[in-house]
Amino acid sequence: MTDLIDLHLFQELGRPLMLALLVLGGLLFLVGLVNIFRPEPWRQKEAWWGLVLINLLFFLGFALIAWLHWRINRELPLELSDQLAAWLNRQLAAANQSAAYGMPLYDPASPPRYVIPLWIENEKYYFWFMGYAFLALLAWRRLALHRFRGGLLLLLTCQLGLLFFLADPFAEPLPRFFSEISPWFSDQLAPMARIGLFMKLYPRMIFYYNAHYMWLHPPLLFMAYGCITITFLTSLFMLVRRQPEIERLGYDAAKFGYLLLTFGMLLGYPWALQAWGPNWWWDPKICSSIMMWAIYSTYLHTRLYANKVPMWYFSSFLGILCFAAMIFTFLASFLFPGEHTFQ
Amino acid sequence: MAKKGSYDFYLILATTVVLALISLICVWAMFYFKMAGIHLLAAAGKAAWQERMNTIISPFIVALLVLLGICVPKRLLPVRWLNRFAVVLLIAALAVGWWFGVRVGLLVILGAALLLQSAVLVLALAGQDFLSFVKKGYWVRVGSSLVHLGLVLFVLDLYFHRMPTLHLLLFWVTTATTVSGMICCFYADSIARLLGREDRESAEQSGGRKDKG
Repeated sequence: MTDLIDLHLFQELGRPLMLALLVLGGLLFLVGLVNIFRPEPWRQKEAWWGLVLINLLFFLGFALIAWLHWRINRELPLELSDQLAAWLNRQLAAANQSAAYGMPLYDPASPPRYVIPLWIENEKYYFWFMGYAFLALLAWRRLALHRFRGGLLLLLTCQLGLLFFLADPFAEPLPRFFSEISPWFSDQLAPMARIGLFMKLYPRMIFYYNAHYMWLHPPLLFMAYGCITITFLTSLFMLVRRQPEIERLGYDAAKFGYLLLTFGMLLGYPWALQAWGPNWWWDPKICSSIMMWAIYSTYLHTRLYANKVPMWYFSSFLGILCFAAMIFTFLASFLFPGEHTFQ
Repeated sequence: MAKKGSYDFYLILATTVVLALISLICVWAMFYFKMAGIHLLAAAGKAAWQERMNTIISPFIVALLVLLGICVPKRLLPVRWLNRFAVVLLIAALAVGWWFGVRVGLLVILGAALLLQSAVLVLALAGQDFLSFVKKGYWVRVGSSLVHLGLVLFVLDLYFHRMPTLHLLLFWVTTATTVSGMICCFYADSIARLLGREDRESAEQSGGRKDKG
């Protein structure tokens, strides 16, 4: 992996950044916990600046990830000799004639390069939790209720813990991607083996790594997940303490999240047709996503058309159910086989 | 909130039940997919699985279609006429389905829903007050009409899934309609302020006849 591209600086910069996130997260966890149980606010100003700092660190790390991807784009093109390129283009042209979605021919003057979105492999968790941190910042500013703010911090620190211990994108950057492409850069590859490998890497580059939809479908869903998490927190609070401002914040987060979720899910459809053909319908992840969307729709409809005080418990229950459906949908990628599997 | 025993209440209830059943079928499909190892099957086996699941789900999609066909005109018609319309639509769909097949019968319902929802959208854009909406704001009504038109288009799009070009074209129209509808609906006040046109009533001040959305 490190033979292909020098990752030393990337990892060296990422390590203290992740550590700083963890330490700050630990401090905010304490502040959050105290605020949840204390009747009076405690260290609110310090916690606010801690939250701002976490957002800044997240942004810095994100810039670092963008830099790594830029380097991959510049330093790891899939180059072929002119002779192999001519032969390959004849094969590609023939294959394109019978394909619903063809692949661009190889241009020796401009060999194909990876334009990898900033949310693949462990980076997706980074983006997801960064999105939540930003939404938590907005929610903090909007609601000056110390217990609710404590809840925001606790959820954030849980995510930081997961990120640091289970999904650190800086510790081992893009392991699956590098293991996929590393044989290409081996000097001992015979010409026909190189062509064979190209025909394995190229469709994946076109329909997955470089797909335009990849820049919209996952980030919209991850931001929607962040909004669902805020709605989950407001729903929990509504079960205990029914305050219109908390309910209003939850509803606003739900509206924004639903918009992103619907748009994101819809954008996955033409992409799936391109990448997988018609054989993806009834995939477990698709089934669970439809289920989550149906629950989210029910929550919003309940809030919209049955917004009476006696219904608040019910809509709060739906908000919590929606979060549970989100977790289930996400875990479906690990637990169920299919096109979206992370197994 | 829709009153218990009202027409809207039963429409809400029926739609919720159908959506819940579709969700349950989806969850069952996930577990069956894993247990039966569908992902390990050859392309023909996967196609058979999809065909089987399509057959299982189709009665519920038909039920949604019928509900949609009944639900859409309630913007335009009073309840008494709505009942008559629902009966006429069902009889027409059944008669056409009997003579020309189920698919054509469904197309009749979809076509009627599409025409009516397009009319609702035009009237909402024109700012007509006699339309029945829960919310009273101009942009909320336009947004709600767009979202419902998107739903009709989406089902129509599924209907044409074997015609790739039309299918994709309809898909993008559906996406644009649904997303722009949601933006208008959810951010009506901001749009009104942005365009310098305050809504006559805030989106949150609900009133008038309740509906299923």
